[in-house]
Amino acid sequence: MARRTLRGLALGYLLALLVLPVGMVFARAFADGLGPVWAALSRPETLHALWLTLAIAAVAVPANTVFGVLCALALVRHDFPGKSIVNAMVDVPFTISPVVVGLALILVYGQDGWVGSWLAQRGIQVIFALPGMILATIFISIPFVVREVAPVLREIGTEQEQAASTLGASGLQTFWQVTLPSIRWGVVYGVVLTTARALGEFGTVAVVSGKIAGRTETLTVLVEDRFQAFDLAGAYTASLLLALLALATLFLMNVLTAREEA
Amino acid sequence: MAITVHRVSKRFGAFVALDDVSLSVPGGSLTALLGPSGSGKSTLLRVIAGLEPPDSGEVFILGEHVTQVPPQKRGVGFVFQHYAAFKHMTVYDNVAFGLKVRKRPKREIDQRVGELLRLVQLDGFAQRYPAQLSGGQRQRMALARALAVEPKVLLLDEPFGALDAQVRKELRAWLRRLHDEVHVTTVLVTHDQEEAMEVADQVVVMNHGRVEQAGSPRTIYEQPANAFVMGFIGPVNRLEPNGMTREAMIERLVHYGFEVRVDLALEDGERIWAQVTRDDAEQLELERGQIVYVRPSHTRVFGP
Amino acid sequence: MGWGVATIYLSLMVLVPLAAVVARASAGGLGAFRAALGSPEVIATLALTFGAAFAVVAVNAATGTLIAWVLVRDRFPGQRLVNAVIDLPFALPTIVAGLTLLALYGPKGPLGINVAYSRAGVLLALLFVTLPFVVRSVQPVLLELDRDMEQAAASLGASHGLIFRAIILPNLLPAILSGAALAFARAIGEFGSVVLLSGNIPFQTEVASVHIYGQIESGDTTGAAVVSVLLLALSLAVLLALNALQRWGRRYDG
Repeated sequence: MARRTLRGLALGYLLALLVLPVGMVFARAFADGLGPVWAALSRPETLHALWLTLAIAAVAVPANTVFGVLCALALVRHDFPGKSIVNAMVDVPFTISPVVVGLALILVYGQDGWVGSWLAQRGIQVIFALPGMILATIFISIPFVVREVAPVLREIGTEQEQAASTLGASGLQTFWQVTLPSIRWGVVYGVVLTTARALGEFGTVAVVSGKIAGRTETLTVLVEDRFQAFDLAGAYTASLLLALLALATLFLMNVLTAREEA
Repeated sequence: MAITVHRVSKRFGAFVALDDVSLSVPGGSLTALLGPSGSGKSTLLRVIAGLEPPDSGEVFILGEHVTQVPPQKRGVGFVFQHYAAFKHMTVYDNVAFGLKVRKRPKREIDQRVGELLRLVQLDGFAQRYPAQLSGGQRQRMALARALAVEPKVLLLDEPFGALDAQVRKELRAWLRRLHDEVHVTTVLVTHDQEEAMEVADQVVVMNHGRVEQAGSPRTIYEQPANAFVMGFIGPVNRLEPNGMTREAMIERLVHYGFEVRVDLALEDGERIWAQVTRDDAEQLELERGQIVYVRPSHTRVFGP
Repeated sequence: MGWGVATIYLSLMVLVPLAAVVARASAGGLGAFRAALGSPEVIATLALTFGAAFAVVAVNAATGTLIAWVLVRDRFPGQRLVNAVIDLPFALPTIVAGLTLLALYGPKGPLGINVAYSRAGVLLALLFVTLPFVVRSVQPVLLELDRDMEQAAASLGASHGLIFRAIILPNLLPAILSGAALAFARAIGEFGSVVLLSGNIPFQTEVASVHIYGQIESGDTTGAAVVSVLLLALSLAVLLALNALQRWGRRYDG
């Protein structure tokens, strides 16, 4: 039956391309049992990488959340000169190669960069240091909150907000008590996607961090570093952590979607 | 008989859409399937078309047993409530679709499409897209498309339901004239009793998946088989069946142009209505608040 | 207030860095561009990048539509799980994706297939990361599609195959193109998944992003900026073309 053939083809493709490879991470990581995994996990560089990854996300995600909501409000509710440019700019981080992003940040914030040279004179190092990595992470995760919140804003319309203002609420009150609650699911999705992206970014951070072991390696950079050092156990262990984070993200999104629909 | 439906039943889960329905549609006639939402009329139409398989029973079209035949091969023309226009094709390509499927030569297609567009008064619109047409125009295109392949029967599923009241009335009359010209056996589904009575040769009243009555509009109106049919065809007055004259007060007069509807309240609070011409209303000097006397001239009594 | 903040933030974060790349590329003058375009390695890298991206997008147009079809029109146990799995390439870090593909389809893979250090490896990595785009683009359109049109076509005599080709596919085309554009942009710039799997052999399996990375590492920021600008300009051209194609596809929407 044609239906079964189509189904088989689709599922087979997904199995071969997605499911089996990801399964391999688990298989390879635990190939020699729990021992090597635990050893790799407890190594200082792994722990540092984990800490660094989480710390960067802890800064980037809130920043982009606040920005995202404001930007979505601006794009949906207001008309201003240059609006279409702003709209296009929001998508740029999505469409540019991470390596090019890294290059761009180096050119601006590096030792000889436009802003970087000014900062270097004051002893502030951005590139090959934590601030640069935070900037990089912010850059590549800009679109998500905006793109999740904007359609929700568009859909709910301004009626509720107008009702609130006729009832005497100030702009800020309306925002906190009417707007924010009604876009909360968009914000939640945006935050989850931003976090996932922030935790998983590789290319840009690799360029901008200098990959200094134990100092500026995030989990993703650690994976590559361990691989190049022929430490497969280390590479797979770090990958395992990241894969678990990815699956947790997917799971969370699905649970949240189900809860929203209920 | 162009269409014979024999003891068809269909349920969707726990919901019984059709309950042992049997029906005959004479060739060349225009039959209306009339009933409220959920009465099964659309389901019945779709079973005839082959778009929905019945759970049990049989369907015959022009004597052929088609119950197992897919819609592609039944030779039915189907018109949907929301037009189902191929929105990515021009009006011409829409109407020509069935002919292209049958691989007719280009010249024949050209000629036939031109004929049909003239018939439905859309000539000049051939290169437009459905999005550029009004609702009424889209429905006329849908009709032309269905007629293009010279179907054995034409099935219309609430064809005017999505249109404005004015357009609906116009198209209704237009459909009747078209039928008189083209003479294809037509079955029309509607919930609008006015539409059914105005347009059809045969009216089939349905309720809860069953046929309540089938007959000419006049028969349905004058000899309703039961209280449901009578109530569905028009607003009813319910009174004690003793033919006595009753006293009533005029609550409201509604002027409909040539006619005046008089809303009355009997002494016991029961509400009834009557209809008089404008002249009668003037002659009788009817006014709100007046006391008048009413007596039923025709009654139908239905048992418990 | 809001839009002021938004504009400043975006300008600082996005506009200025991009401008810096263009500025650096222009600092080398036309000579730098000519040198880049004259370099066989750069040409090879760009050719491979664009060639691979086009190939992958073509495959995705088909497989993405197929998967969306099966997710929307079919019913089978575990469908919700399959639907969730589609987003895996979005959630999984690219470097991990590369590693997993290497584990399964590399030299020590259990299936005996080895695509490491080859163009097939590049294609495989790109297929992985671009999988969700066409699927997620087509799915909502397929869900909303007016089934009446298909039934009308059936009543007019069209077979299932014809209904798909003449009725369904044309209405899916804008969504397929939109997903293809996103997939293309992603494939052009992909780095993390390719860097492990392809071996980055110049003239063979070195994609643009890896080439640029190499230039940055060796301190040739001007060269890196030049190739970046070329990459950006070319992909912008393709995206504009796809956009125009999409608008042409929508012309009958009235």
